[in-house]
Amino acid sequence: MSAGPYNYSYIFKYIIIGDMGVGKSCLLHQFTEKKFMADCPHTIGVEFGTRIIEVSGQKIKLQIWDTAGQERFRAVTRSYYRGAAGALMVYDITRRSTYNHLSSWLTDTRNLTNPSTVIFLIGNKCDLEGQRDVTYEEASKFAEENGLLFVEASAKTGDNVEEAFLETAKKIYQSIQDGRLDLNAAESGVQHKPSQPGRTNLNGDQAGVKDNCAC
Amino acid sequence: MADILAETVHPDDLKKFEKIYHEQLYKNDVTPKAQFDYSWCLVRSKYASDIQKGIILLEELYRTHEEGRRDYLYYLAIGNARLKEYAKALGHVKAFLSIEPGNQQVLTLQQTIKKKMEKDGLLGMALAGGTLLAIGAAIGVGIRLAKALLCTKI
Repeated sequence: MSAGPYNYSYIFKYIIIGDMGVGKSCLLHQFTEKKFMADCPHTIGVEFGTRIIEVSGQKIKLQIWDTAGQERFRAVTRSYYRGAAGALMVYDITRRSTYNHLSSWLTDTRNLTNPSTVIFLIGNKCDLEGQRDVTYEEASKFAEENGLLFVEASAKTGDNVEEAFLETAKKIYQSIQDGRLDLNAAESGVQHKPSQPGRTNLNGDQAGVKDNCAC
Repeated sequence: MADILAETVHPDDLKKFEKIYHEQLYKNDVTPKAQFDYSWCLVRSKYASDIQKGIILLEELYRTHEEGRRDYLYYLAIGNARLKEYAKALGHVKAFLSIEPGNQQVLTLQQTIKKKMEKDGLLGMALAGGTLLAIGAAIGVGIRLAKALLCTKI
């Protein structure tokens, strides 16, 4: 087992949630691979992605759980909310129904995460202006009323995708700095620099052991 | 929370879906959904016996419920990979990709499994596995022959 130094100081857990077909997996793919997946089949259960970013000079590894939007998976995908530091809640600006369901997604998120979890609302597919079904103003007001961060983005063009993931991390990092997020809490969704590679923590989480490739 | 193969189910979730499954089992009316939800949790358990059970339930679903086959194949691959049954896991991935060749999620899983095999130093062994099986079979035949000879002597 290699005991090389980790090249990140924190691990943040994210979840991506929202109705089927709003482009959750495409957003993840655009963020991790910088590519648009044109033909994107329905996600089975959950998908996982990771990328190392930098916030205030600190390297942070994002571990992102992208949940399937299909209703039949929802019972089990709910269990992935536990311990998320960031939640990206996605709707499709060209399909009103996906916007109308946001309050149900938000209720789930609030019930199943911590008060300190940062929730970021993303209106995806903003490249399809001609088919717009939800105005920017309306969604922006919804976000403000519920204390959410908000952007319209496009997984296709890459517009604002990077921003959404990075802004969420900045907000989480701020919470750590302000002491609002307790790193020792079991389900904070944040792990501090695993300084002793090869040792598993009490949760039996072997992230530190298995992941020293830092990919 | 390292990757799709290392992530484990929370015991509360496992209990929750186990309860639903058993209630339905008691009434002799198990829905494919309850069985799938339960096996999805089982294959993510820390315990090999749970994973094994999850695989059996998924195999049964695969035979009896055609609609959900892609889901069952995906989690059969995960369960087997977690048990280090890499040849089986990759077999399920291959079966999936023969139907949906470009599926990114499954291609990623394939990569993850291969990476894990490399880490375990097993990639070469899986290839040699066929040979080992053949040797094993030959030894088996030899032992049976020897026993047969012994029996006839006595």
